[in-house]
Amino acid sequence: MKVNITKWSSVSTWHWDVNEECCGICRMQFDYCCVDCKVPGDDCPPVWGTCNHAFHMHCILKWLNSNQQQQCPMCRCEWQFKSDQK
Amino acid sequence: MASGRYAKRLQKELQEIQKSPPHGIMIEEANNLDRWVVQITGTENTLYNGEKFRLQFRFNSEYPLESPEVMFIGVAPIHPHIYSNGHICLSILYDAWSPALTVSSVCVSILSMLSSCTEKVPPVDNQYYVSRSIGKTPKDTRWMFHDDTV
Repeated sequence: MKVNITKWSSVSTWHWDVNEECCGICRMQFDYCCVDCKVPGDDCPPVWGTCNHAFHMHCILKWLNSNQQQQCPMCRCEWQFKSDQK
Repeated sequence: MASGRYAKRLQKELQEIQKSPPHGIMIEEANNLDRWVVQITGTENTLYNGEKFRLQFRFNSEYPLESPEVMFIGVAPIHPHIYSNGHICLSILYDAWSPALTVSSVCVSILSMLSSCTEKVPPVDNQYYVSRSIGKTPKDTRWMFHDDTV
C-alpha cells in the first residue's frame, strides 16, 4: 500500500529548563513571562545566579537595581550571574 | 495598589494562605488588596499560648521589591522587640527584606519571635520611641538590629 501525504501540520510545545516552577520574585511560572512583559519566550528568559537560583531576568534586575545589597533573594549570597547558562 | 504590576502575586499569596493557612495564622481582612489584617494566635507551650493579635500589612506598588509595612494593630504583644504602638523591630521587615519573603513567611517569623521569648517585657526604650513615632510608619524608623537572641 502506498500512502501519499498531501498535507500535515506539526504542533510543538516548549518550556524553559528550570528546576523551580515559579520565579521567586513575581511568583509567575517561568514558562509565562514576568509581570512587565506580555509575551513569554526569548524576550523574557530566566537567568541563574552562581548559587543556582533562577529568576526572570527582568525581575532579578529590578531587585538588584532597587537594592544596595546585591544579594540573591533566596539565599542572600552575593548575586553573580552564572555565565554558562543551560 | 491593586492595580500595581505585582497585584497578581498578592492575589496568589492571598489564595494560598486562605487555602492552606500556616498554623496559628488566619486572614481576617483583605477586601482591599493593599491592606490586609492577619490574626495570629500564640503557639501552645509558649508565653503567648492562645493569645490573639492582629497584624496589619500595607503594600505599596513596589511590593515585593519593597517590604510591606507590618505592624500590630489593637493591643500589641508585650515583647522586648515590639513597641506598644505596634511597631516591630525585626530586620526582615526593613533592611533585610527579600522579595522571596511572603506574607505567610513574615507571619511565621513574627510568631516564632513570640515563641522564643522568655520574658514578657516591653522594649527598654518603649516610652521614648512611642512618643517620637506618633503618626509615623515603622518603615521610616532607623532600626538598629543588635540582639538575635529573642
